[in-house]
Amino acid sequence: MALSKEEFEKLAVLSRLRFSDEEAETFRNEMDDIIAFADTINNAVSGGTDDIKNISENAVVYTELRADEVVDSLPNEKILSNVEGSKGFFSVKRCVK
Amino acid sequence: MRELLTTLSEKLHSGEISSVELTESYIKAIEKDNAELNAYVHTTFDYARECARRADEMLKGGNAGALCGIPMALKDNICSDGHETTCCSKILKGFKPYYDATVWEKLRAEGAVLLGKVNMDEFAMGSTSESSCYGAPLNPRNTAHVTGGSSGGGAAAVCANLAPYSLGSDTGGSIRQPASYCGVVGLKPTYGAVSRYGLIAYGSSLDQIGPLTNGVADAAMVFDAIKGVDPHDDTSVDYDFGSVAASLKNDIKGMKIGIAEEYFDGINPTIKDAIMSAVKFYEANGAEIVNVKLPVLKQSLPVYYIIACAEASSNLGRYDGIRYGYRPEHYEDIDDMIYRTRSEGFGKEVQHRIILGTYVLSSGYYDAYYKKACLLRNDIIQSFDNIFNECDILIAPTAPTTAPTLGYNGASAVEMYLSDICTVPVNIAGLPGVSLPCGRDENGLPIGMQILGRKFSESVILNAAYFYEQNAPAPIDEYEGGAEI
Repeated sequence: MALSKEEFEKLAVLSRLRFSDEEAETFRNEMDDIIAFADTINNAVSGGTDDIKNISENAVVYTELRADEVVDSLPNEKILSNVEGSKGFFSVKRCVK
Repeated sequence: MRELLTTLSEKLHSGEISSVELTESYIKAIEKDNAELNAYVHTTFDYARECARRADEMLKGGNAGALCGIPMALKDNICSDGHETTCCSKILKGFKPYYDATVWEKLRAEGAVLLGKVNMDEFAMGSTSESSCYGAPLNPRNTAHVTGGSSGGGAAAVCANLAPYSLGSDTGGSIRQPASYCGVVGLKPTYGAVSRYGLIAYGSSLDQIGPLTNGVADAAMVFDAIKGVDPHDDTSVDYDFGSVAASLKNDIKGMKIGIAEEYFDGINPTIKDAIMSAVKFYEANGAEIVNVKLPVLKQSLPVYYIIACAEASSNLGRYDGIRYGYRPEHYEDIDDMIYRTRSEGFGKEVQHRIILGTYVLSSGYYDAYYKKACLLRNDIIQSFDNIFNECDILIAPTAPTTAPTLGYNGASAVEMYLSDICTVPVNIAGLPGVSLPCGRDENGLPIGMQILGRKFSESVILNAAYFYEQNAPAPIDEYEGGAEI
């Protein structure tokens, strides 16, 4: 199933990515091949349950919940160490006017 | 000159060589050869020397572990406190994690020596390591060829004796396939056997950390050191493996080996011949060969790409330029900043997979793709369960071809995805798999054989691999060069 230009633009917004018109066109064509490839699973019959909740345990084994104990967390200065010129907090341009 | 971990450990414990001396010999080799091979993308030599001095003290103390004092390399997506870790992406350039991944914490406590971070496909998305923002590593067996990927730098470093071992991550074959292309051993452990805490996430239900080594006993040694449950990773499992290294025996009599013909569809005939010769070798030594059917194999590729991209689109949502990583110099407002950060920071393959993941999770397509893929995943898990009621291990090729040449642009995205057919099924099912060399093609490039088993059967698959390694004629020459010890 081919992906329309509008659909592609919507996906780009959801992904917070921008593409030039040329890039978008090339990738949209490539996506058609990839989607056709993904579509092959729709010919396959799934033998077991139809309820996705029942299968997660099979795919991922969860261990018991841990005890709810207070432990040390990472210090602020370490967490902020990757932000240039931090004044003790993460900062962005004003977004509420 | 290649040295196995088992030998290096003996030399260090007997005092024949010190960790400082050993570390210096690897540093010298990296300084000499890395400019060409591009295996390492960040080196941590000062830290390595500090680790080595500490290891020598531990060795003198007489209670050091098996890996104490042995240098190693981490894939560039495994965090270590204060050392640049970038997933080979522009979006994380300069990022210095503020904690150790559990695997590195364990190795560090045992006295391991970190030489640096090794090259990979950007965010582990690729099969050739060519999507790295630092350029591709080269295959030491023939530098006109790729190393494979995504743990390509680790496979190149181990093959070229620029590290005695490396830790990689395997989401759809990223340890086993480069191991196969470079002629080394690569172990993808059972999902949950090794903590993923501190591994930068790609597909969280598929990712697993494992070793790249020169020998099977070495892989067991490293696995023993990194396995175990971890409170920081809810999906890690408390399983009593005992010592896998100590369980290696030179005997496979009575072992039932499954062969699924579906694994051999479209495989290069030279590779098929090499694998079948290995199977005959096992049979001649007392193993029983069982033919099994695995019709779900065909579905595993689209299932894998749907699940991996869906999880990636969610995991990579965190890269917004606010807390760490790349942030553009100029932008209008916060939305513009996030768009620019992601559009300028991520490479094309990563952007494509995010879009694809967003597509399969979006309203209207979720049921047809993501949900259907999860249901089929269950069928694949059950098919493997049934197969392992009939046999102890499965033998399959690791990749349909040997290492392609660099810059092969002829392949479409789908063709590139198809090259992962042999490796992705075990990630979907959470099973362990090991790749080891079993021959070479007409150009002298290594051929890898994959041994797969049921969950938590690392000692079974490694035993089978060990038997082949110890008793079959050497499939490939040792690489000459690298560290001189």
